[in-house]
Amino acid sequence: MPNQQAAQLNRVFHGLADPTRRAVLERLSSGPAAVSELAEPFKMSLPAFLQHLEVLEQCGLVKSRKTGRVRTYRLTPRPLKAAESWLEKQHKIWNRRLDQLDTLLAELKEHKS
Amino acid sequence: MSNSTIQIDLKLDLVLERTVDVPREIVWSAWTQPELLKKWFVPAPWSAVDCELDLRPGGIFRTVMRSPEGQDFPNAGCFLEIVPKEKLVFTSALGPGYRPAIRGSKTGSGDELHFTAVITLEAQGTRTKYTAIAIHGDEASAKKHEEIGFYQGWGAALDQLVALAKTL
Repeated sequence: MPNQQAAQLNRVFHGLADPTRRAVLERLSSGPAAVSELAEPFKMSLPAFLQHLEVLEQCGLVKSRKTGRVRTYRLTPRPLKAAESWLEKQHKIWNRRLDQLDTLLAELKEHKS
Repeated sequence: MSNSTIQIDLKLDLVLERTVDVPREIVWSAWTQPELLKKWFVPAPWSAVDCELDLRPGGIFRTVMRSPEGQDFPNAGCFLEIVPKEKLVFTSALGPGYRPAIRGSKTGSGDELHFTAVITLEAQGTRTKYTAIAIHGDEASAKKHEEIGFYQGWGAALDQLVALAKTL
């Protein structure tokens, strides 16, 4: 895996590794939203919440735009797709590994009986 | 200490569950004896040419993977938890003796993000249900782990390794 790609995955996983940030991403998957709307469901200070938004933006998972006094966030799905396909690949690796394990187990059992 | 907490997030983690018509002792052997693990742990066309397992918390979990071109890639992680015939937890994020691994130094398997694997075995008559969970984290959470140190018990350690939220 090229380093750049690994670095991107690292950023995405960092973005995903927090429940508040995941909830924000889920909300944004149904369309762009302003900061006030995004912050509403959470019992935390606005500065703390804004930090989460900042992390998400640094990870490349969201983009923001300021219009007048209102900052609106939207999802940028490409990095998330990259993470999904990485996970998909890991899934295949584990499946192949466990297929091999099951073959060996059958042999071991045969051997024993 | 044996009841470590594991929180799964399906955006980051994998859960694989299988039932085999094989007694639990054999499944446990295949996971814990180097000569057996070598035979299946590395998906073909790659192969495992060496394997060292020290079944103690902090004990080494080392494999050397050989690429189809014949290049060798050593990987050394460590065990976090061992409950004989029931549960095995190991990680690539910490080396032997819990020393934090540095990403990219000796890896090369193409799998550069760290993972922790939790294997559980459950006897079902003469059959065995086994579950393999691979939990993934980012470098920042591994670094945080390094800063905090490894003195808070295995459960806390796992929480540090992967920052996460939803419980399965």
